[in-house]
Amino acid sequence: MQSVRIAVALACVMTAAPAAQWLKQPTPGIPRTADGKPNLSAPAPRTADGTPDLSGLWRPAAILIGDIAANLPPNSVPYQAWAEKLYKERRANDGRDDPTANCIVGGVPRSDLVPYPFKILQVPGMMVILYEAVHSYRQIFADGRSFPADMNPTWFGYSVGKWEKDAFVVETKGFNDRGWLDNFGKPATDKLRVVERFVRKDFGHMDVYITIDDPGAYTKPWDVTLPLALAPDTELLEYICNENNKYFEIIPKAGSR
Amino acid sequence: MKIRFIVVVVFAMSTVVSAQWLKHPTAGIPRTADGKPDLTAPTPRLANGKPVLAGLWRPAPGGPGVGNIARNLKDPVPFQPWAEALLKERRANNSRDDPTAKCIVGGVPRSDLVGYPYRILEVPGMMVILYEAVHAYRQIFTDGRELPKDPNPAWFGYSVAKWDGDALVVTTAGFNDNVWLDNSGHPATEQLRVTEKFVRKNFGNMDIEITIDDPKAYTKPWTVVQPLAFQADTELLEYICNENNKYFEIIPKLNADR
Repeated sequence: MQSVRIAVALACVMTAAPAAQWLKQPTPGIPRTADGKPNLSAPAPRTADGTPDLSGLWRPAAILIGDIAANLPPNSVPYQAWAEKLYKERRANDGRDDPTANCIVGGVPRSDLVPYPFKILQVPGMMVILYEAVHSYRQIFADGRSFPADMNPTWFGYSVGKWEKDAFVVETKGFNDRGWLDNFGKPATDKLRVVERFVRKDFGHMDVYITIDDPGAYTKPWDVTLPLALAPDTELLEYICNENNKYFEIIPKAGSR
Repeated sequence: MKIRFIVVVVFAMSTVVSAQWLKHPTAGIPRTADGKPDLTAPTPRLANGKPVLAGLWRPAPGGPGVGNIARNLKDPVPFQPWAEALLKERRANNSRDDPTAKCIVGGVPRSDLVGYPYRILEVPGMMVILYEAVHAYRQIFTDGRELPKDPNPAWFGYSVAKWDGDALVVTTAGFNDNVWLDNSGHPATEQLRVTEKFVRKNFGNMDIEITIDDPKAYTKPWTVVQPLAFQADTELLEYICNENNKYFEIIPKLNADR
């Protein structure tokens, strides 16, 4: 029990350390103050068509990866009874069945919450997110397509995005039924539908308004706001989760209790 | 022997899944009168005249592929003796220590050779490759920066690129010393430097000329060419290697037995 928590804690500490070792790489073309520092309160840049440019290296500015509802009033997650029971079970066993302990991707919205940087790319017809965590990526189609009729169930789901004034609104469906919403283990099912509204407030700040709509696990949709901070003058690291992962040494043994 | 069987099964299964994917028409590509993609149309070009490399690609027949990168070489691979001995050992034990069996990324150039599609993106200052295999990505900086003097050793290394006529020339260094160049286990060391020349021949075809320069493992640089075929009207699948991977059930037992 304790060894699982320690292993997870160690993994977090160890991955944090290399981040500081990375050679600084000045981000070209960003606004700077007179002393050369990034001007994070400069206006949000815009593309030629006038919509905000969301591209850049971002990082969560609030710690929601443990408990995605951490900033909500107490008891405001509208669990269905089975989902609350499963959540409590996962809390009690230190998240031993967490798929990300087995180096599986966090999916949506969990990957947005992980306190490692991610790079947003805007390309014609698509927004792409390169996550440092687990060295994975996500495609968000912005070419006007609608959802496929019969989607392959996946961890990241199938994402389509469109602009609503200055908000980039991403809708994601087609999940498998094994996603966790956070490290504490809030459940999700294959009925999960996530809406993320990306709103860049200024050069250095963006908010993601996340709606969790999963009638398989919750009695009604609920909302969370994730603030992001631009991460200037640095780069993504190569995070290879399967290097020296202790999961298979520890968890099968813990499971045989 | 068991390992080879498992690898074959895994490949067969992922091929089946690939065929199940709903077709999605690729927007804005040249088509013939009957609506089929015109793969022999000219190479598209940017406003600055450079070829567009972006698109969904896949290693095509005729190249080495990922099994044996040296398959088409006319001359023998210029091994250092230890590297040849290690390759033979890996061949003899069915590549039991292959890092990708543990779902680690293939790195460079191995990820280019894997028989799954990958998407090339071109954004300001960067080319990005989204590999279906292991759901991994790679950044190639095209903003004029130099290779870092003291890079973190990495599976994908650190990649910078510049245009040489119509060829995008990618130089990658800063590897760790665990990389395999292919499934059969051609070794590499932290002295590896890979040069990839991306040359788009027409709309549907591109070549990557790959030069392996690793003086610690090979006595001189050597070069292979992998053709790529454009993949129209389809999409990347979510390939999550750690789902139901049997490596950790099988390999530690094999290693304990030997």
